[in-house]
Amino acid sequence: MQRSATSYVFALAGVAVVAWLSSLALPLLGLASSALLFLLPVLYAAARGGIGPGLFAALAAATAYNFFLLPPRYTFRIHGLENLVSVFVLVAVAVVTSRLATRLMIREAEALERARLSDEAAELSAILAGHPAQTACAKGIDWIATRYGDLRLLAEAAMPTGDAAFSSLDLAAAAWALHNGDMTGHGTEVMPAADWTFFPLAPKNRKDGHVAALARPNGGRRRDAAELGHLSQLCFLLGQCRDREALEAERRERERLEEADHLRRTFLASLAHDFRTPLTVITGRLALLAEGNPDAQDALAAAKRLDRMMTDLVGAARIEAGSLAPAMENLDLIDVVAEAVGGLTVPQGLFVQRSVPANLPFVTGDPVLLHHIMTNLIDNAMRHAATTVTLDARQEGEKAVFRVSDDGPGVPEAERNRIFERFVRLEGSDRTSGSGLGLAIVKGFADAMGMTVSVDAAPSGGTRFTLAMPIAIEGCA
Amino acid sequence: MSRILCIDDELAILRLLDVVLKHDGHEAVAVTTGRAAMDAVAKGGIDAVLLDLGLPDRDGLELISAIRGVSQAPIIVVSARGDVTEKVAALDLGAADFVTKPFDGDELRARLRAALRRGTAATAGAELCYGPIRMLLDRHEAEVAGRSVSLTPKEYSVLQVLVEAGGRVLTHAALLERVWGKAHRSDVEYLRVAVRALRLKIEADPSQPALIRNEPGIGYRLA
Repeated sequence: MQRSATSYVFALAGVAVVAWLSSLALPLLGLASSALLFLLPVLYAAARGGIGPGLFAALAAATAYNFFLLPPRYTFRIHGLENLVSVFVLVAVAVVTSRLATRLMIREAEALERARLSDEAAELSAILAGHPAQTACAKGIDWIATRYGDLRLLAEAAMPTGDAAFSSLDLAAAAWALHNGDMTGHGTEVMPAADWTFFPLAPKNRKDGHVAALARPNGGRRRDAAELGHLSQLCFLLGQCRDREALEAERRERERLEEADHLRRTFLASLAHDFRTPLTVITGRLALLAEGNPDAQDALAAAKRLDRMMTDLVGAARIEAGSLAPAMENLDLIDVVAEAVGGLTVPQGLFVQRSVPANLPFVTGDPVLLHHIMTNLIDNAMRHAATTVTLDARQEGEKAVFRVSDDGPGVPEAERNRIFERFVRLEGSDRTSGSGLGLAIVKGFADAMGMTVSVDAAPSGGTRFTLAMPIAIEGCA
Repeated sequence: MSRILCIDDELAILRLLDVVLKHDGHEAVAVTTGRAAMDAVAKGGIDAVLLDLGLPDRDGLELISAIRGVSQAPIIVVSARGDVTEKVAALDLGAADFVTKPFDGDELRARLRAALRRGTAATAGAELCYGPIRMLLDRHEAEVAGRSVSLTPKEYSVLQVLVEAGGRVLTHAALLERVWGKAHRSDVEYLRVAVRALRLKIEADPSQPALIRNEPGIGYRLA
């Protein structure tokens, strides 16, 4: 208002000045040149103030030109077509100039607004990036709230159903925004009667589980599409910040787990090391004494079992920690069985019958884990067998199947499901002095390598374990 | 008789090693730190080294490189850790062999014998022998327990490399590199196929191999 009044005053003043100057200089310039001078205030007023001041200046200029310059001077009488043309030209100049100027001014205003909005977005981005992820989002929300009114983040899992600030219509609009990824509520096309506007935090194809709620402006003003579009962009920035926060939280959690895992591994490694050093002295000394001494032989066997228990404990802890990372390669079962049997002391009077065909395809497995599995299965059979342990490998379809059978007392059918649990010892089996972990490790390691292990009755009445292993795609030498 | 440098921070282990080594008439030189070990190696006269990887003052793997830098004496790693990658790393760094605690005295002595034989492998002209295996290199022939066996070039190479190692363990990568070349260091299945074929020809019972032994995750050795 202020500006347009000033424009009219300037227009009038301009016309007055030109009228005064041209009336003084009329003898020098002549009528035509003096008339041109009146274009100046019209152009100025139209460009500065738009159509109103422009037309006003045009009329004032025409009037002044008529009054001060056109003969008969100092009268309003119009003589002939020539005078009408000058009035028309002045009006036309005013209209055209003012329209051009208005368009330019609108463009300029738009550019300024765009610059302001992008400055805002940049400022918000700087705030979000300049703070640690946990606090950045809250800072960003505060920043938007100070400019645009109350802003809150609503989680899909915890909608503010009991909050008086949100009517049922608001909550419905919020739910729509969450599920469809549209902007809803006040100012939008979806439930415009709501008191809040709800902005998704992520583009439509990527659900976020959160939505930003912005209160309707005070004083009954309605937010327009441009403002809502801008706010929607700001909310996407908030969403990106939340993504960063989630990623950082994930990274922190992963680091924490890795550190815990590293500590556990270090602890287990040093535990195993600390146990094995005295155990080496014990077994070494007993081995020196064992020749021809059955007592020392017993003690040596017990010490060796202690070592296997230690290995089982470390293995069980690795399964528990979920830190098994099998290094799979192609393995020859002949090697695996030979090493497992070779590493065990066959009790006196026991016979180990082996049937591993030399043309069996290779299997895929981790050599160390599979060695541990085989050792445990064969050791278990040796401890339960009466006279014979039978090892049998064959190909069955896509699997290589390895069976370990003993002719011991067998496992009652009802107990078979429990046998792979930790620390399960079946009744009457104390004499066998297992760790209670051996079969749990067999199961845990087999699972980790994509193998299956099961138990049933051996034809001889004892127990039979079956390990099914994936067959490797054979290479060539 | 040989002088064996025993490096372990546990005195009880050193005393045990002393007894075990004396059994074969060797002399044990006991040290408890990496620094003392380097001093002993520098003095010379050491025929082999028994090294515990878990030393208080120095990383065991690094000590292998350090000893390798000044002495050709074979190093046998005595490791309490079941970690296969550590053993492979030790072998790759130049250790001749390894035993795992708790070790068997007989096994340790056998490994030591194999290690000491290194360089003085039983070669007579172009003939290479280990146990029942005899290889006539110039004629590209092999005999097992006096019986001639016909081998493919790859099988022959694998057997030759194993016989040359004389009972020491060879990592998969080392065997593959020697026989197939550097590009095939990780193609373990090549080796498995060749070893299986070799066993069919040289083992009395190929399903219960007595000559070529596998070390799970590490490599092969001759028994």
